[in-house]
Formats: sequence, C-alpha cells, structure tokens
Amino acid sequence: MALLEVRGLVKHFLGVTAVDRVDLVVEPGELVSLIGPNGSGKTTLFNCITGYLAADDGRALFRGRDLTKAAPHRVARLGVARTFQQVSVFPRLSVLDNLLVFLQQHQEEHLLARLLRTRRVRRLEAEAVARARRMLDLVGLTARADAAAGSLSYGQRKLLAFAGALMPDPDLLLLDEPAAAVNPTMINQMKEHILGLHRQGKTVLLVEHNMDVVMDISQRVVVLDHGQKIAEGSPEAIRRDPRVIEAYFGR
Amino acid sequence: MRRAATLVLAAAVVAAPWLVAVVVPRQQRYLLHVLIFTALFATLALSYDLVVGHVGSLSLAHPAFFGVGAYAAAILATRAHWPFLADLLAAALAAAVVAALVGVPLFRLTEHAFAVGTLGLALVAGIVANNWVEVTRGPLCITGIPKPVLGLPGGPMVAITTLPGYYWLALAALVAVALLYRRLTTFRLGRAFHAVRDNEPLAGAAGIDPLRYRMLAFTIGAALAGVGALYVHYLSVMCPEEMTVALTVNLLVIVFLGGVGSLRGVLLGAVLFTALPEVLRLAPTWRLVIYGALLLLVVVRSPEGIESLLRRVSGARAGR
Ligand SMILES: Nc1ncnc2c1ncn2[C@@H]1O[C@H](COP(=O)(O)OP(=O)(O)OP(=O)(O)O)[C@@H](O)[C@H]1O
Ligand SMILES: [Mg+2]
Repeated sequence: MALLEVRGLVKHFLGVTAVDRVDLVVEPGELVSLIGPNGSGKTTLFNCITGYLAADDGRALFRGRDLTKAAPHRVARLGVARTFQQVSVFPRLSVLDNLLVFLQQHQEEHLLARLLRTRRVRRLEAEAVARARRMLDLVGLTARADAAAGSLSYGQRKLLAFAGALMPDPDLLLLDEPAAAVNPTMINQMKEHILGLHRQGKTVLLVEHNMDVVMDISQRVVVLDHGQKIAEGSPEAIRRDPRVIEAYFGR
Repeated sequence: MRRAATLVLAAAVVAAPWLVAVVVPRQQRYLLHVLIFTALFATLALSYDLVVGHVGSLSLAHPAFFGVGAYAAAILATRAHWPFLADLLAAALAAAVVAALVGVPLFRLTEHAFAVGTLGLALVAGIVANNWVEVTRGPLCITGIPKPVLGLPGGPMVAITTLPGYYWLALAALVAVALLYRRLTTFRLGRAFHAVRDNEPLAGAAGIDPLRYRMLAFTIGAALAGVGALYVHYLSVMCPEEMTVALTVNLLVIVFLGGVGSLRGVLLGAVLFTALPEVLRLAPTWRLVIYGALLLLVVVRSPEGIESLLRRVSGARAGR
C-alpha cells in the first residue's frame, strides 16, 4: 500500500482553484519533490493533507486512512510531520522545550498522570530530553538549548523547526521550502540532513524552489502549475520536459 | 542566601497575625482584614492567570465563575445547611461545570470575539444574580452565611471565628492554589499550554489539540475561582455587586501589573494592589488614578510586568 495517496484533491479560494484535481502517490522510503511556480498550490496541497484546510473534493489517504476530515493534531499523531514555509517556532519556549513539545504528545497524553508526574511520565520525559539533546547536536543548536526560541536568528529558527518535525520520528515528513532564504552553507547542510533521512529509510515529500537541491536529491519530481499536476518523473526527465520549461519560463 | 530570605519571608507571612499584634496593636483588626483580602485576591488572580497568562486567551468571564461559586456556597450553606468544606467543593464544581458548558462555543470564536463573548457571560451572570430573586434574593443579598467549620463528619470540628483564623484559612487556600498553579504551568502540561499560547497552528503540528488545553485551563481556572466562595463565609453575605466587571478590572490590574504568566508576578501584583494602598491609606479615587498610571507605565516599559522588571534589575546587578 502507498504511504500517502492523494486522489483528485480540489481546493478553491474565492474564484481561484488553488489545487485542481491533484493525484499524488508516495511510496514508503521515497524522497519526492513537489515543485511549481509561485502560487501553483504546493503549500495549499500540504495544508489540505495535514488538516489545516478542508479540501473541497477528493481525498488524501495515509496508510489508507482518510486525512481530509482530520484536525491537524490528529494527522500529526498518525505519524505525519510537517514544517511551515513561514518559519514557525514557539518564541517564548526555550529551544529545548520547543523540541520536547513535539515528542511529548506522541509518548503519552494522560492529563492526570502529567499532573501527578508519575514515574512513567518522568521516565518518558527523560527519554525525550535525551533525544532532544541529540537533535540539538545534529542541527548545531546545543549552545542555545536554554535560550528563548524567539531570540534565534532566522536560519537557526529554521533548523529548530526542522529538528522539531523530526522529534517524533515521523513516518512521513512534509517539508515546505526548508532551503529557502538561508545562506549557501546552510542550504548544503539542509540537503545533507534530508539525504540522511532518506538513507535511514524515511519518507519525505519536499517542496523546494532551489532546483540544485531538488535535482540533486529527489528520486521523483512532481510539478504543479495553476493547481494542476502538469508533469511527474525522474529529475532528468523533468528538467527536459517542455511543459515544465513552459510553466517556469514561458510567461 | 536566597533560600534563607525565602524562609524568613514565609515565616513572616505565616506569623503575620502575631507580627501585626505586636507592631501595630491599635490597627490589628483593620490590617488583618487587609491581609485576608490580599490572600483572597491573590487566589483569584492565580486562577485567572491560568487562562490569561498560560493559554493566552483574554477571558473577561471570571466574575461569572466567582459568582456561581459564591452563590452556590451561600445557598447551600444557608438553606441546605451544608458543611463548609462540602459547600466549598460544590462551589468549585458548579463554576467548573458552567465553564465546561460555555467554553467550547466561546473558544470557537476569534481572539477578540472571545473576549467580548466572555464579557457577555459575566454581564448575563450579573443580571441573573440581580433578577433571579427566588434563588439569589437579588439586591437583598444572601445574608447570615455561617462561619466556616473545618473537619469531617464524626471527627473533631474547628470553627473559624477569629480574624487570625480567617487569615490562616485564606492563606492555606492560597498555598494550595499556588501549588496546583505551579503543577499545571510547568513540565508537560505547562509546555502544552504555552505552545498553544505562543503558536496555535504549530501546536497542532506538534500533536496538541489546542481546544483541549484551552478548556483544561479555563475549567480549572473557573473551579479555583469558585473556591473564592471562601470569601462569602468571611463576609457572611453575598450580593450581586461582588461579581461585577469591577472584579475583572481588579484582576487584570493585578495580573498585568505584577507579571502575567508568572506565579511570583501575580502574588506581587496582589500585594501591590490590595495591601499597599490600604497600608498607605490612599483614598479610593486616588488609588485608581495611581494604578492607572502605574499600569500604563508598566505595560509600556515592561510588558511582562513588574516581576520581570525586578528580575532584570537584580540580574544586571549580579553581573549576568
Ligand atoms: N488562505 C488563502 N486564501 C485565499 N487564497 C489563498 C490562500 N492560500 C493560498 N491562496 C491562493 O492559492 C494559490 C496557491 O497558493 P499556495 O500558497 O498554495 O502556492 P505555493 O505553490 O505554495 O506558492 P509559493 O511557491 O509562493 O509558496 C495562490 O493563488 C494563492 O494566492
Ligand atoms: Mg508555498
């Protein structure tokens, strides 16, 4: 069974059809990129899959379960993690707490046990802290662990948001422009992180404008234009596809 | 050093009735009354801050929850002759039930509409208190509310009749509420509350159901406001005027002056707001003028309240 299966998904906004009957299948372990000009509907598609927007038609199935009616926190609990195009952190929480919050809901959510701080909850918390520290090491934020996330630079916040999405070890990771608006060193760093995930067998759906990154690391590329899927194939095939060239340069 | 200072402060708070008796014997009754009010306001402000400070929803409904609790306690104690602890528990429960019923539709509203909706709830509660005469006696007030008697059926009973007794009772309630407040606002629950407050969409992506945590803070906040029913046993009367918008204004001043979302800040705010002006013997009109100006100053210069201002100042002095 496909891990993610989007069938005929449609989303309208006041006269604009932002997503227009899109079909998309992602198999377990795949690294797929979703590209398209500005306003082609990539973020809207992510929002429909992860419960932030209600689709007008069509379905998004994760392991055969319909996500289109589920709230964001339900989708997250099923094992679908996402990042946001507009970098997003919890500004008044510490950097460490930003990561812990992404794991704790997956470990347990027993309000009374949390209030009483039972031994089980304290053990899970210790495990979460250990994992969060490894994540901070991975993205190079260990020195800022106790700082408020709001005090980080733009690039650091982007890394923090990425590490947060990885905290619950999600089965499917949706990344919305992880390499946008950061310096070249960090673009490479991001690329290595994503490739690392792929090698570990993680499934990744990547929205990215940086063609070097997309062409370098994707197994398969899906192209949207005006909400419609206009092409799909290997990076080489997409690079040469006349419809894609038309969509990007033809106007 | 710090620990020692805290211990001395705690000892002074517990021993306040004796200190007052020794230092200012002629104003003993008056000062104890002020201290009792301070403890009650601090308790109410902590319960209010759970919602305003920790899940970031500007609720103006607190007088309604306080009122429901206070009337529940007053009616049960006078007409059904319930024992003190039982009517206090019922007061907390009644306020929590009201919050649970109105919370879900209110939290569906946008931020500003939520504030207006909760204000509406407080106004409606006030109107009901004034007009549902069969139950509340309206403007005639419920009078003759008995003094609290502590103890369990069959066991020894202690009647609270003296001012120091009331003070210690109010202090015990404050300490219990403060401990619960700290449990709720740190560790995993606190982290989830603060995630919802800081960034609701991202909280969803972290697997947090924002409504669930908002409702938790709102309902527990209401229950603890219901514990304010202690107050009607002290005054022995409950009137509709006790639950007007003026109460919201007082709580807002305490919380925002002292430090929103901070235990120490809220306690500091309660002391500044209740105890200080009484001690300084300010006329009520001047008090509001001074607080208005002070609040403006704090919100502009140190939006997190006086507590964070003090923290910054002492941090700077320690060379950090
Ligand atoms: N909340 C919204 N309300 C109205 N229109 C919207 C909304 N969100 C997106 N749109 C419109 O839907 C279309 C698709 O937008 P979307 O953000 O999905 O594109 P995108 O492919 O992610 O673009 P970019 O590469 O610039 O991020 C655009 O025309 C946009 O203006
Ligand atoms: Mg986008």
